[in-house]
Amino acid sequence: MLKETVFTNLIREHQALLYKVTSVYTDNKQDQEDLFQEVVYQLWKYFDSFRQDSKITTWMYRVAMNTAITHLKKKKRRPDVLPIAEVFIKQNDSIDDVYEERLRLLYKHLHHLNTLDKGLIFLLLEGKSYNEIALITGLQVSNVGTRISRIKKKLKTNMTKS
Amino acid sequence: MEIEELQAAWSQMSNELEQQKKLTNDIILDMTKQKYQNKFVLVTKYETLGALVCFIISFLVVLNFNKLDTWYLQICGVLTLSFLIILPLMVLKTLKRIKNIDISKGSYKENLSLFLKTKNRLLKLQQIGIGFGFIGLLFIVPVTSKIMSNKDVFLISFKKEQYIVFTITLVIFAFFCKWAYSGYQKITQSAQELIKDLE
Repeated sequence: MLKETVFTNLIREHQALLYKVTSVYTDNKQDQEDLFQEVVYQLWKYFDSFRQDSKITTWMYRVAMNTAITHLKKKKRRPDVLPIAEVFIKQNDSIDDVYEERLRLLYKHLHHLNTLDKGLIFLLLEGKSYNEIALITGLQVSNVGTRISRIKKKLKTNMTKS
Repeated sequence: MEIEELQAAWSQMSNELEQQKKLTNDIILDMTKQKYQNKFVLVTKYETLGALVCFIISFLVVLNFNKLDTWYLQICGVLTLSFLIILPLMVLKTLKRIKNIDISKGSYKENLSLFLKTKNRLLKLQQIGIGFGFIGLLFIVPVTSKIMSNKDVFLISFKKEQYIVFTITLVIFAFFCKWAYSGYQKITQSAQELIKDLE
């Protein structure tokens, strides 16, 4: 199969993953679109360097998250305005208000975390085990556990406040 | 609201996204050609342009260095040249370092640490630039004045109005520098804390 075909199939199959990474690291639609394109470009650029010794999604998470770190924001927006959540929510009319509100709150709290905490909690939300999180982030497994429980506490405090 | 409820909302969103396969092969292939302008490319372009202006001015100062006929004007000339050459070069070098971070290698932690350190260096350089810009007035003005109109500002007696205008300009510039400097200070401070946390 052609390299292009393999790559486009891969991106099509895992586009949800990319949407989620880019939505966590940006707070408006324009920035998200820019980051999405940058991530796809970087994945293509390093596609040949992917070795089969890890899962393709692990490699994709790593490249996408590493790209997000160096992504520059266009300008600062008010942190509480989260149109990015609407990008997902408004695509389906049947979605209930409670879910919409939860998602809005989730993004609000995620965007208040620092880059490292954001990455860790994102991977946790994605259902990754501490081992997988350690593999992607380069932290030690025990460190991942400690940090995550600290972030959970922080999130809980923030949620209680708001 | 509990964290578990947020996790449930995230899972629901993930399921819905899985069903929305909107990208076509053409769109994906378009993205691989990097048609849009990467923001770092844009920043580098502006910084390169700024550096070029600095280099052209320093070239003119070198060409006219013989017009600086006293020891203090020559010192001002050397300081002006250093300011116009060293700082832009260091900024460009730092930008190149950021651009060259190989995101396919290294973990999230390593890349984040490297990026924050390099970004901090860039911000510090810009901070120094602002500080020097203020002090720089004291040595750049005599050099340009001597080269452009052959006047030694250290020997000219100014009118009262000229002193007032100069003082007002200095005060406004000082306020601007203080504002910009503290802005950078806040950003570098939070990055520094995260670097410490990573180590």
